[in-house]
Amino acid sequence: MNQQPFLRTFTAPAVLCAIAFLAAMAAVLQFSLRAYVPGSLEPGGFTLANFADLLKPLYSRVFLDTVWICALTAVSTLLVGYPLAYAMVRTKSAILKSILLVIVVTPLFLGEVVRTYSWIIVLGNNGFINSVLRDLGIIQQPIQFMFTTFGVVVALVHVTMPVMVVMLAAALSHIDPDYERAAESLGAGPVRTFLTVTLPLSMPGVVAGVTTAFAWTFSAFATPQLIGGGRVNMISNLVYQLGFASFNFPFAASLCVAGLALTFVVLSALRLAARPLEKIGPH
Amino acid sequence: MPQSAYQRALGFCGTLLVLLILGFLVLPAAVVAIAAFNDKAILSFPPQAWSWRWFAKAIAYEDFRAGFRNGLIVTAWSSAIALLVGASFAFVIDRYRFPFKRTLEAILLSPLVIPHFTVGLGFLILAAQIGLSRGFAVVVVCHVVLVLPFVLRSVYVSLRNLDQSYELAAASLGAPPGRVLLTVTLPLLLPGLVSGWLFAAILSFNEFTASLFVTSQRTQTLPVAMYNYVREFADPSMAALSVMYIVATAALIVFANAFLGLGKVLNIEQGH
Amino acid sequence: MAEQNKTDDIAVRFDAVTKTFGEVVALHEVSLGVKRGEFMTLLGPSGCGKTTLLKLTAGFFGPDGGNVAIDGKRVNDVPTYKREIGIMFQNYALFPHMTVAGNVAYGLKVRGQPKPEIARRVDEALELVKLTGFGDRKPRQLSGGQQQRVALARALVIKPTVLLLDEPFSALDKNLRASMQVELREIQRQLGLTTIFVTHDQGEALCLSDRLAVMSEGRIRQLGTPTEVYRTPCDRFVASFVGDANVLRCRLESVGGSDAVVALGNARVKVASGPLQGVAVSAPVDLFVRPEQLVVGQAAETCATRGTIAAQVYQGGHVDLYVECADSARERLLVRSAGHEAIARWPIGAQVGVSIAGGEGVAFRID
Repeated sequence: MNQQPFLRTFTAPAVLCAIAFLAAMAAVLQFSLRAYVPGSLEPGGFTLANFADLLKPLYSRVFLDTVWICALTAVSTLLVGYPLAYAMVRTKSAILKSILLVIVVTPLFLGEVVRTYSWIIVLGNNGFINSVLRDLGIIQQPIQFMFTTFGVVVALVHVTMPVMVVMLAAALSHIDPDYERAAESLGAGPVRTFLTVTLPLSMPGVVAGVTTAFAWTFSAFATPQLIGGGRVNMISNLVYQLGFASFNFPFAASLCVAGLALTFVVLSALRLAARPLEKIGPH
Repeated sequence: MPQSAYQRALGFCGTLLVLLILGFLVLPAAVVAIAAFNDKAILSFPPQAWSWRWFAKAIAYEDFRAGFRNGLIVTAWSSAIALLVGASFAFVIDRYRFPFKRTLEAILLSPLVIPHFTVGLGFLILAAQIGLSRGFAVVVVCHVVLVLPFVLRSVYVSLRNLDQSYELAAASLGAPPGRVLLTVTLPLLLPGLVSGWLFAAILSFNEFTASLFVTSQRTQTLPVAMYNYVREFADPSMAALSVMYIVATAALIVFANAFLGLGKVLNIEQGH
Repeated sequence: MAEQNKTDDIAVRFDAVTKTFGEVVALHEVSLGVKRGEFMTLLGPSGCGKTTLLKLTAGFFGPDGGNVAIDGKRVNDVPTYKREIGIMFQNYALFPHMTVAGNVAYGLKVRGQPKPEIARRVDEALELVKLTGFGDRKPRQLSGGQQQRVALARALVIKPTVLLLDEPFSALDKNLRASMQVELREIQRQLGLTTIFVTHDQGEALCLSDRLAVMSEGRIRQLGTPTEVYRTPCDRFVASFVGDANVLRCRLESVGGSDAVVALGNARVKVASGPLQGVAVSAPVDLFVRPEQLVVGQAAETCATRGTIAAQVYQGGHVDLYVECADSARERLLVRSAGHEAIARWPIGAQVGVSIAGGEGVAFRID
């Protein structure tokens, strides 16, 4: 039928949402181009000063730190998540699969604050790790995990795991086990089979997982805020501080805009770099 | 299949590795649970005595109660609106063609890649600019925008999996498009709609970063209340609250998996 | 009884209907009139346009050119739910969330029939398809054959002007298919329901239809009764597609009006001269002969041609003999021999003579 009933009724709400969202993004863009008036919530006239300020070492440092943390997290999550995804997909028992899936997916729905808080308890000077090590007599002084990049990355890896494992599992589950059986029948041992057959075929999933992990980590706020405690700052934390401590919304907005540009650049670079890798996988 | 000693050793190492990783995943939850039952106020391991008092305190704490109530209000509204908008637009994407359809879709899916702090800041500034007070409206709209992509994808996948011949059969029997939608399409889409809604509701209830920007003292949701608490106090009330959170969420996920098949929703093939 | 108007005879009419999908022309100016109460089959290989024609009747899309008319009214722009049609889908499309009774009642509910009337008609329909008492079951509890009957009942209960069937039996096993075919035909005759049936199985088409339209590449190649199409195919495609065909290279001996005679060895076969327009006498032509028209015997002068037995296939009631023959324009000749004596009598490798029984056939020019 060539008619399109409901088209207007069904599209209108979506259009309204899109307008609201675009208006919010436009507000950020607009503010990033306005001057900051100290002591007031109203912005001043149009200027590019905010973006010029971004080039100062203080702020460009935060950009680099953010990229570094995101990259570190993405790669670590891949290394830790891959075996789990593999186990989840290759188990024969359906119950085990369900259990693994629940364990992996549940953290995803707990929210940043609960997860980050639990890591505070694990990593703190009086936290789990330090208490256990002290009780066992291995250390005298607590090891400093809080307020370090290491602590932040560990917590971030934990936060990003569900997403990575789910994407890897999706890719792995679509690889026909017959490929591995064929390799074995031709004499390849398990390690060789994995390296030459399974891993290459899972490349699209790996690329998707790493890219998503990177984008997700970039958006992290509670984890670096609570565990970083002001000493480890990502762009998100800086935006919050500028907005709520100094009320310098214009500058915060420019940080957001620069952050978006940075994500776009890094993700595009990742995509380009990954293209030869993706060709190895099945199309 | 008979295995060599090498393969068995490899399998053993593999299992060990997986168990370690699982341990890593479960560690924080386990530790929090232990801390929540600690009788003392200071976080220490192992606890000397056990008690329920932090649970009682957490439930009684007014900011948490207010946060919970606000969270429910925001979540109820935003998940319902997101479901309506998402389901109807997914329907349009699947069935119709019109100019800029892909552009509109891209715009609505973009919150997936835009950091929540940017979205939050945007709505905060927008609200101030148009003179809207920081009430529930802003928070709800912000949440709708953030959870919409998930609803869209979930409903779209369900639509794609729906065999069109059912609707054609209904039309051949004389049912006009509206009737077909109500009596055939919607009932068959129900699992996808429910899982999409559930996803949206949980994400909205737990959303923190954007909410931190757009909520005020009056409208703060539970995650924001928890954040404020952690910054000031160090007692295990938060731990108790976290435990309740974990138990409730795990129960929901198990339920969702049993009834809706979580694997399917996440595009993980069963049976391999 | 008042004499019926000529147009009243035609339930569904296609007038120079064209339909294109992107670059592909699915239907090219197809014209066809389906008579009231007739069982019309659209037969052809996949891609020939038969399903497109069916879907045009259903109203799933409109034609790009030409007109579709149901009951004398032009329906090009009329949506599916306003046409009085009943469809049986290949995969039955029974609503999984409704019971059998719910499925069958659906069309009646949509038409606003009162409840007692609906119940009565649903029971009637289920009785017609021999599924009385199945009303409370869900589709997934039924076997394939039972699901199909429900689909049929659902389409029939609304008393449609025309019943459309899209390869409904392709998913059934052979025995079930045969019995369903018989049942469908009985019901159709009983109700006098105009039916358009789509299939690629020429055996099915021959046994069910009042008339059949053989289609290929978006056009109707031949329209006629099963006998007409089988015995006097109008071109090579129809001759090859409908039934098995042997192709013998013969010589055109003489032409006389509407008849011609072709010669092969000592055989003289009468054919229609129409397809042989422009062929000179003594020029070679292709003679199409059915397997049951060929007879295998001793190699003698009275034969049409000679050959060697290459293979035997026992088919239960008859034996298929494959004969290597120099005069065959295609692969081997297929000769059908009733009973089973042929197995012993004509072993593989035997030199035989092939005769043409009946003296009538169909010949076409060589392209």
